[in-house]
Amino acid sequence: MDFSIRAANVEDCKDIARMIVVSRHVRTYLEQDGFSKNPFFHGIIAEVPEQLRTKDGHTKVGYALYFYSYSSWAGRAIYMEDLYVMPEFRGKGIGKALMSKVAQLGLAAGCNQLNFTVLDWNKSSRDFYMSQGCCDVTTSMGYHCMRCEGEALQHLAQP
Amino acid sequence: MEYKLRKAEPKDVPDILRLVKELAKYEEMEHQVALTEKDLLEDGFGETPFYHCIIAEIQGESSSEDPKVGGFAMYYFTYDPWVGKQLYLEEFYVMNEYRGLGMGSEILRHLSDLAMKTRCTGMMFVVAENNAPSMQFYKRRGAEDLSQEEGWRLFRFDKDSLLKMATPAEE
Repeated sequence: MDFSIRAANVEDCKDIARMIVVSRHVRTYLEQDGFSKNPFFHGIIAEVPEQLRTKDGHTKVGYALYFYSYSSWAGRAIYMEDLYVMPEFRGKGIGKALMSKVAQLGLAAGCNQLNFTVLDWNKSSRDFYMSQGCCDVTTSMGYHCMRCEGEALQHLAQP
Repeated sequence: MEYKLRKAEPKDVPDILRLVKELAKYEEMEHQVALTEKDLLEDGFGETPFYHCIIAEIQGESSSEDPKVGGFAMYYFTYDPWVGKQLYLEEFYVMNEYRGLGMGSEILRHLSDLAMKTRCTGMMFVVAENNAPSMQFYKRRGAEDLSQEEGWRLFRFDKDSLLKMATPAEE
């Protein structure tokens, strides 16, 4: 299938929000947080030519969101927050191409690691990533992802 | 013993690396620390910092004694499109001899306050499941274990796998 990968710009926001709503079911402050002077994340978009557009006329069919992070052991790292391809466009190498682009961007910025999370029940994704040379750090090193939010965070902030 | 918290400065880089290595030793992973002082300087104090640090400085017993770096926290900002900005706590350590003074709690309080002031909706970090004291420390303070409760697994591509993935497939 003919497709292209490019950096996301502010005009892509509504398509990213459309695809996130499909994969995450929530609204976000995407424009402000991703496309202002000091963005908290970056995006890449997968587009197909006009003749392959969806029933609803969409040519933007996949995206990835990423940002830079840091490992106190290995230094610069890139974190892939989201990777999504619309169901009717899967199996054509678009997901792989998006991930490959994130890897390239990470290497260009001097990163030594690409990190992301996968849910337990998502066996097909877990198998796919392992086949690409990934390591499951939660299983191999027992690392658990933790979060303090809402009331717990407010409480922690009290003197 | 008096201590104070302050933002890290370039001169703190040797102490930061020392403490990173001490914590890695405690986790029996000392050999995994590939970072150098040069990396830390470039990555933390250049034009676009990849990380930020706060230092816990122990005041000297007398006015002629130099203050010592007794603890630190390394953090940066991440993003979850579901809930927005997060403060990510990468490293957090207080030297053995300075524990029990409330420094750890104060560092955590300072970071939580910073998270709220910078519009973060959460503070995130990773804990090894066999590190029972740390697990208890955080859970007592209301942290959720997303790996246990929601099934999150952290996946990683190291440098070699990254290089392979970045190379387009042969046609």
